Amino acid sequence: MRSGRRRISLGRAGTQTHVLATADITRKPTQEPTLRRSVTPWGSFSWGYSDVGADIFVGLGLVLGAAAGASNVAFLFAGIVYVCIGLAYTELAAAYPVAGGGQYFVFRGLGDIFGFIAGWAVLLDFTIDIVLFAWSCIDYLSKLVPILSFVDHPWVHFIVVFAVIAGLALLNIIGVRESSAFNEFVSGLDVVSETLILFFGFLFAFQPQLLVHTMTFSWPTPFNLMNGVSLAIISFVGLESISQAAQETQRPASVIPRTSISLILTILIFALAYSNLALGMQPWHAIPPDAHGHAQPLWKYLGNENNNGAAVAVLASYVPYYGHLAAYYVPVLGAILLLISSNSGVFGSSRIAYAMSGTQLLPSIFQRVHKKYRTPAVSIVTFCGFAIIELIFAALPSLSPPVHYVYSRLFRGEDGITFLGDLYAFGAAASYSFVFIALIALRLNDSQSPRRFKMPFNIPFTYRGNRVEFPVVAVIGFFGIVSILVFTMITHEIGRVAGPLWIFFGLLGYLFYRRRKKLPVFRSQPHDWRKAQINILQEAGELEMMDEYLVNVKDMDARRVSATAETLR
Amino acid sequence: MKRLVRSEGYARARLVTGALFVVLGIAVIVRTFAAAGLSGQAIPACVLGLAMILLGGFRFRDYAAARRARP
Repeated sequence: MRSGRRRISLGRAGTQTHVLATADITRKPTQEPTLRRSVTPWGSFSWGYSDVGADIFVGLGLVLGAAAGASNVAFLFAGIVYVCIGLAYTELAAAYPVAGGGQYFVFRGLGDIFGFIAGWAVLLDFTIDIVLFAWSCIDYLSKLVPILSFVDHPWVHFIVVFAVIAGLALLNIIGVRESSAFNEFVSGLDVVSETLILFFGFLFAFQPQLLVHTMTFSWPTPFNLMNGVSLAIISFVGLESISQAAQETQRPASVIPRTSISLILTILIFALAYSNLALGMQPWHAIPPDAHGHAQPLWKYLGNENNNGAAVAVLASYVPYYGHLAAYYVPVLGAILLLISSNSGVFGSSRIAYAMSGTQLLPSIFQRVHKKYRTPAVSIVTFCGFAIIELIFAALPSLSPPVHYVYSRLFRGEDGITFLGDLYAFGAAASYSFVFIALIALRLNDSQSPRRFKMPFNIPFTYRGNRVEFPVVAVIGFFGIVSILVFTMITHEIGRVAGPLWIFFGLLGYLFYRRRKKLPVFRSQPHDWRKAQINILQEAGELEMMDEYLVNVKDMDARRVSATAETLR
Repeated sequence: MKRLVRSEGYARARLVTGALFVVLGIAVIVRTFAAAGLSGQAIPACVLGLAMILLGGFRFRDYAAARRARP
């Protein structure tokens, strides 16, 4: 890297090599470096898949442990909400193809303070993402290397997860990242692998009678079902990647909707398929008895403390014929995918903090880059530091008996991975709730921006002299995600305290920072969104959309002028 | 990887897996209805079956679009 120039990580660290943008460090904000648009439709799909696809590797065991015979119902409920969220992100990412995701949409639709809250909730999710996926990555590897087992060797597990997080932070500071080709290869291999598990499972072992029997006799209590639903949403987190990919995709307005719909359906199918298989599959070989020596069904075995961190690998090993092979490579494949996801958490958090700092939602220190490596080192260290604090909170009950006693008394003995799941669900539900409101606000207030993809089922009407369409699906999705947020608050002892505290202290810091900088605290700074939108569409190469936008703006201005003249007359 | 996903063989493979998804989706729906009848317990598996059929349909559509786009 030449001196006097900086390399900032404007892309997704975990997966893309094309993201390394070079820019003069003295450039003004208007001359900010832009991202190279080299992501193909397949690249866009695999980018999203490596983020969201890894979630089921973590979520399956947790949901089975909580929702028992209604795990497929929990996944269905969360899946419907996820489809609504996915459609919302697809519409917004195609209309505003900029990196920043939910935080940007909320910032643009609802203003500075809500943009901060949504971004801060996303940051919580990214820091949890780092720990949860690093934790689960080691859980998957423990299926081949037993010394890494969290239950049997908690200290070894803790130290290895700690080392993984520290290593990822270091790699991100140095600026080393794996190639996009590697990411595309792993995603492709995983799609093929999961499809094979699904085909073999449904063709040779799925027993609908067993599914009905399990659902009838192992139906959970309403509390456990709510708990299961709130954990199921973590299998669908990571849609930020759709919008992050948008900024680097060629012709995003046409590519993003196509790849997003395919991604949404693929993830939904895997989540529903695994949960139905776990409840209704006749295992190919015997399941070990439980701690009391009693026979146990497959779903119970997958959801216990030993296996809930690596449930997909264990399930795959019980699939007829294919299970022999799957038992060896699924843990490794899962671990690689989870490591990529954990790395995307490291990068994503630093990137969002960098962007928020640029719009004066966070202090400028988060924009500071490392002198030698030109990466946003302060952001990386800060959010990896948060991740390590969360790791300590999650691992403490297993490392220290007195702490275990405290957790049992205060938090109903929630274990480490459930603690992380709690916070992950809280952060996701909080940020997604704002995204739905932002989508509605942008439909009403920015009807001039062309939308190549719109969520289905809209009610057209006139708002402030403009023809707009009210998105019914966004309202359904909003109520769905809010109900999941409520379930999280009701059922998760730690999540209900730690999640709101994260938002509260973040908001306190925001208020202090804005007051100190003499910026509006509760109101927004003036933004020239028209100019911003023209720049966005121009940079995206969507010149037809830009022309359409300019025509729409001109029409709207002409209507306003004539309306004012009419009033004066 | 880019060369692979742009090839005719890849498009055909997606078409074949799309067809398999449609068949599997129909099989899941039929077998679930046979076992559970018109009950609430059949809903998650039937939604899974429908999603598989839909994904297969999308792959058919993509294949048709790719064929149309070829010179």
